Amino acid sequence: MTAATTSAFTASGSVLARRNPTVKLALLFVVSLAMVFVFDPVTPAVLYIVALATIQASTRLPVKAMALGHVPFVAFGLGIFLVNALSRPGQILWEAGPVRVTVEGLSVGGSLALRTLVIGILAIGFVASTDGVALMGSLHQHARLGSRVTYAVLAGYRMLQEMPREWQTIRQAHAVRARLRPDGTLPRGLSAYRRAAFALLVVSVRKGERMAQSLESRGLGLSPRTTWRKIPLNSTDWLMATTVLAVLGGILALSHILGFLEGYDALFS
Amino acid sequence: MPAEPALQLTDVSVEFPRRDSAVLRGVTLRLDPGEHLIVFGASGSGKSTLLQAITGVVPHTVLSTLTGSVSVNGTSTIDASVVELSRHIGVLSQDPSSGVCLPDVEQELALPLENRAVPPEQISARIDHALAAVGAAGLRQRQTDRLSGGEGQRVALAASLIAEPALLLLDEPTSMLDPAGLTAVRQAIDAATAAFGPSVVLVEHRLDDYAGPAGIAGLPERAVVLGDDGRVLADGDTAAVLAGSAGQLNARGCWLPLETELLAVTGRPGGLATPEVRAALRALALPREGDDLQAPRGLGMPNDDGASPAPRIGDTVLTARNVCVSRGAELKKRRRPRRTAETAPAILKHVNFELRRGEITALLGANGTGKTSLLLTLAGLLPPAEGSVAGARPGMVFQNPEHQFVAHSVVDEVRHGLPGDAGRLVKTVLDQHRLIHLADQSPFRLSGGEKRRLSVAAMLAHDRPSLLADEPTFGLDRRDTIATAAAFRQAAAAGRAIFFSSHDLRTVATLADRAVVVAEHTVIADGAIFDVLRDPDVLMRAGLRLPPLLDWLLAEFDSAPDIRRVLNGLDAAVSGATTAPQLSGSRV
Repeated sequence: MTAATTSAFTASGSVLARRNPTVKLALLFVVSLAMVFVFDPVTPAVLYIVALATIQASTRLPVKAMALGHVPFVAFGLGIFLVNALSRPGQILWEAGPVRVTVEGLSVGGSLALRTLVIGILAIGFVASTDGVALMGSLHQHARLGSRVTYAVLAGYRMLQEMPREWQTIRQAHAVRARLRPDGTLPRGLSAYRRAAFALLVVSVRKGERMAQSLESRGLGLSPRTTWRKIPLNSTDWLMATTVLAVLGGILALSHILGFLEGYDALFS
Repeated sequence: MPAEPALQLTDVSVEFPRRDSAVLRGVTLRLDPGEHLIVFGASGSGKSTLLQAITGVVPHTVLSTLTGSVSVNGTSTIDASVVELSRHIGVLSQDPSSGVCLPDVEQELALPLENRAVPPEQISARIDHALAAVGAAGLRQRQTDRLSGGEGQRVALAASLIAEPALLLLDEPTSMLDPAGLTAVRQAIDAATAAFGPSVVLVEHRLDDYAGPAGIAGLPERAVVLGDDGRVLADGDTAAVLAGSAGQLNARGCWLPLETELLAVTGRPGGLATPEVRAALRALALPREGDDLQAPRGLGMPNDDGASPAPRIGDTVLTARNVCVSRGAELKKRRRPRRTAETAPAILKHVNFELRRGEITALLGANGTGKTSLLLTLAGLLPPAEGSVAGARPGMVFQNPEHQFVAHSVVDEVRHGLPGDAGRLVKTVLDQHRLIHLADQSPFRLSGGEKRRLSVAAMLAHDRPSLLADEPTFGLDRRDTIATAAAFRQAAAAGRAIFFSSHDLRTVATLADRAVVVAEHTVIADGAIFDVLRDPDVLMRAGLRLPPLLDWLLAEFDSAPDIRRVLNGLDAAVSGATTAPQLSGSRV
């Protein structure tokens, strides 16, 4: 939809991109919430594989973008996994001096790490398929987000677009008078960045004030108001929501029947 | 019986808590539906406050006391909030980047209609109508961050009129635009106000540019002059008001239509077309007694023998050899190559020139031709993609002075980057640039002219042989423009090379010895200023348009010093604008 609000990650025009942003956000939230109560590694592993396959199929993201999107979640998950594997008490699996690995540590750590990946893949799918402007419009229409908040965020978004340019200009303007280091290069100290950040802050606050006045002069905050281009919310969106919840419930139930599913008790066993 | 007034101010006074005197005093003003009004006044005379009192920002948003009453289309501003008042008022402010708020042009235009609960099925047609009225039908599918200044300002104008307010406020709508953008926005304002028929209140600095070739007839038909104490000094037919207040407004540093300025200086009406005015200008061109003894030569005036380069011009301090300017060159140097680096095209190629001590050189060219990038490259802030820049490290003054500020007080700002024992130098610099009384103020709280003075002063405190400046007079009133030019002249007289970009050809003609013109991705002209300005081919290729005064001067006088004397004589009529002694010597 809007190229201005899409990044290299965006898979606009894909199946998932045509779904209602608020519904997608709500599903992301519900699944993440459900994961909070799961502490075995098998259930999140299955959920992750199902989610990865579905999102890959419905967004057609390039493999590279998908892999890149995983980096922060894998790094975070790995950290959690190692901490748990090495520090959680329980049945010792392997020991070398002060380092010991427990069965419980591997299991809980693996569960938490895979949980991170599940939330991660859903977040990737959401970001890659959702236009920021449409999301704000949809939240305004379908989640009762106030018009002032909605348009303030959109205006802030525009300011954000211009900030890198502004930052670069400020850094250059400051560099002109900076005392050079002995090798003739510009200083890169923390205080130089702090000064530039302060200038950026002042310039941005001014601009924010002017934009706020512009928005007010356009009548933002009057009621009643209408919405020109409604973000669609139709039966396909409800079908998607029902399917996702059914699959989630199904996997949890199956995992319970097969004896894999573990809740909070896993932490204290 | 006349309809309800679009605007009615009755005995309005406004005070701000931290100022001892009122900004507006007893202002009474009535504007009928469809009537157009222009407000004149020097900087600080309360023009902005008047507009804020109309929108309700004063007293609702800004802490202030308003007495008397303001009503817009029958709604009292005391009883209604700013947002409620927006039903009757459209506002176009000076900065297109903050006047357009949303990512898409369509959304920007739909927003005012959505907010006024216009049925969705009517919105699309009204967007088309509003864009067509400002001559911007082709911009409908565009994103707002890709718009040029002139385009952005036309979109903002369409957005302020689309909901058909009774009153349109224009707050210096063209002051941040280049000549091309200015013409487009000027036409858009005429066409759109004709199409939508609101009453108009205009505040504008660059009146000569705004009025265009029509002169005073190109301005709103009614004018109000605000005095320095915030009272209405004159109210009536624009031509009559301007004639009555010409001398005073000109002395206060307002930009005026040329005809009015010439009336103020020569005392004769009718403008350039009139023989008496021409005769008076010719008289200004005559060399005066004592000219040779006074500082002109040292302060940047060419010699009376004109054509030959003045002896004060010294050795070369900065050389550009076959320089290729590209924004991508910078990215390539970073460790992680960006995808854009491979394809970033050259902005300028084969740039060769030298800057010499004591010489003031102007950099001319249309917007987007790479003038800023060239200055950054010369300053060593942007590595050249090819070629080399040789010479000692130059100083540079940026277009927006705020970008340069690093300290929390004026005195620290000047001290920044200097050796520890520079106390005396700092004081001298503050004195020279009339900043000493502001020494403890925050740089960000100064007026526009003071900010510019500070940014120039802080740079000149450094011992650099050359000073680069990017649009140093942009957005300044006339008095501050003249003061900035005087500071540059002083710096050149002290042996620095000055290289500045500008769209204001009159200032360029008053100040520069030489001009470098960029167009078609390279330097297309480099020579003595009046030789360049006389070359119609260069002007056309670079999209430069001579203002009428300069056009006439170039046709009338052969020698550069004659032209310079006329321009300086006109500037001298602006009081308090001069720091250099030569101007007081040539006062008319």
